[in-house]
Amino acid sequence: MTRPGFVLEVDERTPPLFVHSGERFKLQRFPMGTRVIYPPDPLPPIRDVRGAIRHALANPIDSEPLEALLRPDMKLTIGVDDISLPLPPMQSPDIRQLVIEEVVELAAGKGVEDLKIIIANSLHRRMNSDEIKHAVGERVHRSFFPKDLTNHDAEDRDNLSYLGQTDEREDVEINKRVAESDLVVYVNINLVAMDGGDKSVPVGFASYRSVKPHHNVDTMMHSKSYMDPRPGRSAIHESCARMGDVIRNAGVKIFQIETTLTNDVFPDPFGFMNKREWEWSVKDQATYLAAKKANEMSPDQIRHQVFLRMKSPYNLSGVNAGETRAVHESTLGRLHRQQLVEVDGQTDVMVIGLPYLGPYNVNSIMNPILVHCLGLGYMFNMYRNKPVVRPGGVMIMHHPVPWQFHQVHHPSYVDFFEEVLSETTDPSTIESKYEERYATDPWYINLYRKSYAYHGVHPFYMWYWGAHALDYLGDVIVVGGNRRSCERLGYRSATTFSDALEMAQDTVGRSPSITYFHYPPHTIADVR
Amino acid sequence: MSWSHEVRDVARGWRWGHRPLPPSDAASSTEPARRWEFPTDWARTETGRLARDALLSGVMGPIVFTQTSPEVMGLETLDSLRPPVMFISNHSSHLDATLILTTLPPKWRNRTATAAAKDYFFDVWWRSAFTALVYGGFPIERGGGEKATAKAKELTREGWNLIVFPEGTRSPDGWMQRFRHGSAKLALDMAMPVVPIAIVGASVAMPKGRNWPAPGRPPIRVRYGEALLPREGESHQELSLRMQQAIAELFDEDRSSWWEARRRSAAGSTPRMHGPAGPRWLRTWEGSRPVRRSGRPPTWK
Repeated sequence: MTRPGFVLEVDERTPPLFVHSGERFKLQRFPMGTRVIYPPDPLPPIRDVRGAIRHALANPIDSEPLEALLRPDMKLTIGVDDISLPLPPMQSPDIRQLVIEEVVELAAGKGVEDLKIIIANSLHRRMNSDEIKHAVGERVHRSFFPKDLTNHDAEDRDNLSYLGQTDEREDVEINKRVAESDLVVYVNINLVAMDGGDKSVPVGFASYRSVKPHHNVDTMMHSKSYMDPRPGRSAIHESCARMGDVIRNAGVKIFQIETTLTNDVFPDPFGFMNKREWEWSVKDQATYLAAKKANEMSPDQIRHQVFLRMKSPYNLSGVNAGETRAVHESTLGRLHRQQLVEVDGQTDVMVIGLPYLGPYNVNSIMNPILVHCLGLGYMFNMYRNKPVVRPGGVMIMHHPVPWQFHQVHHPSYVDFFEEVLSETTDPSTIESKYEERYATDPWYINLYRKSYAYHGVHPFYMWYWGAHALDYLGDVIVVGGNRRSCERLGYRSATTFSDALEMAQDTVGRSPSITYFHYPPHTIADVR
Repeated sequence: MSWSHEVRDVARGWRWGHRPLPPSDAASSTEPARRWEFPTDWARTETGRLARDALLSGVMGPIVFTQTSPEVMGLETLDSLRPPVMFISNHSSHLDATLILTTLPPKWRNRTATAAAKDYFFDVWWRSAFTALVYGGFPIERGGGEKATAKAKELTREGWNLIVFPEGTRSPDGWMQRFRHGSAKLALDMAMPVVPIAIVGASVAMPKGRNWPAPGRPPIRVRYGEALLPREGESHQELSLRMQQAIAELFDEDRSSWWEARRRSAAGSTPRMHGPAGPRWLRTWEGSRPVRRSGRPPTWK
């Protein structure tokens, strides 16, 4: 049986703990009594992956078997999660490849001719040919790319289909091919509880018009948390569910395939990063020291490349197929077994080490806005019931927050950082004053469609993801953060962790309770 | 942080050279690390034996005999025995094995190996090497079972005497703890005589927690008793009780006289060695009473 998640109280026997800090990492001693949240050990992997996929397709939940849904004259579309999942990218073969191959095999067997594969990248950047090949495999890539294997284009007016409005007057506009297909098979990787379900098709194939109703400050402020899609907890999930209903009512038939992965995030020789520190072997300790030294000695570019090339040895922990909501229920159950940790009560100070990677800087650079999104958007929200930190508490993050941007992937981020954040960090003001202009800027739209840029509005969403945390927290301190970047983001920068704790005392008093959220591997704190 | 600081931090954090200790909260959920089995056979080769003899005679013996005042009694009981035998003793101090090995006649000592708890004496390389070399130590699992005694049986078949502490661990308060049955079972399986030894005063001279004898050359007495021979049809529980009784009688003899101890033994009224019932402090208090010195008290003191 897999060892469950665990909350450690630091005592004199506790070794220094591993902390990520962007493309660097370190061992950090924590004050006695600090709570440390560790995820459960990896679930037992499925050995016969193809067998499990075939079984899921043949025995779907609340649906006929996939084979029975296929017919020769049909219009079949396979939707695929984009490069933002999983994190880090998976070692070959990617699970999407294995699932798509099984689906294509069935389609070929049933004589389906009109088959297209579309990457559900929504307003994210397009995936390039190599990235697509890594995700779907060489055989699928060779058979379908580029004509029948494409990225979704949220700004291609001719290929969008308006399906109507939800009860809450939210516009639903999605990819025309998807809307007109006889069957949409969606291939998902459910890395965290936020993914999957009705967030797959309604968001992945949406236009800006259809993303705006849920990617806004008001919705984000009422999503507590993004990782808790139960009714009444997450406005964003409720909005997606309403849109899902509109799509279904419009006659779009979706066959959802959801996969979950184990918590094996880091490959060898970085396997020690997956382990609880006191269980590090001598080899792990030596590897840490060697890796630390090599990391420090490496020029920035080399270090960056080493991290970019890191591929996770994820294993498949489960696969389900069938009706979207029923499948997602089952997926969430398995995901919680892998990631949920019961935590008793909130804390004054929450400490996290931000890794080098978030969903939007795969093969790219983590710029300050993405640091904000990863820290206050995602990490802060890795909870159920209540945030790990109390209202008015302090979040201490470890990250260098370099003033760096990827000019191809994140052009609108540069302007957002220079123009918008230099004036205000208030999400509502930013939304009302700037969003429309960036979202409709022809140059950004052109770069999104023709180059590999995130949509012009994307940095706004990154900022909104952190809106709840910004409103909720008393202070945000970044250990080792670039002072200018932090100042621009509205954070405070500290040289050392001790300094950060001392600075936090201004907000939370002299003897605060501290909780270190040990992440990754992926963890969701179930705060009671 | 400089590289040397980093290495030092790792060394301190992971207790290099010491037994790994998980944080208290994690102790129950942490599997003991699968460890490399330290080889000990080299310590029982002729070279190892010579080195051990030199260390025991030249270093350990002088330390014990200058820092404490040991007296040895009953060694003549060994004259009627032929190896291999099992030496058993109460266990309350790290001095115990040293006292036995330094008081045994060389011809016995040269063929004697000590069973040492694997999780303590064979946790780090330097302690493993020290235990193997100085005590002829071999690792034994505290949990018992066939696997735990496999090495002991192998050594017995090769004619090695064994030193075994049936309590399994040092007594925290000087009083004898319940005997584990593994040693009795081993003696029965191998049909080997068991020589009881009472070590009186070691728990006061160097109790648990001390790494060097207390000042003032505290007195220690090592009493060898008559060998116990496993009886036909005897269960290991019965033999284990006899072993405890034999050591208790030696303690009784130390407190009174051989004659009185024999009479009490015959009457079945030998004082038990498990200490007084009552709170923990009382057991510790009674167990830490100074051991009387033999002979006349010094004139000038």
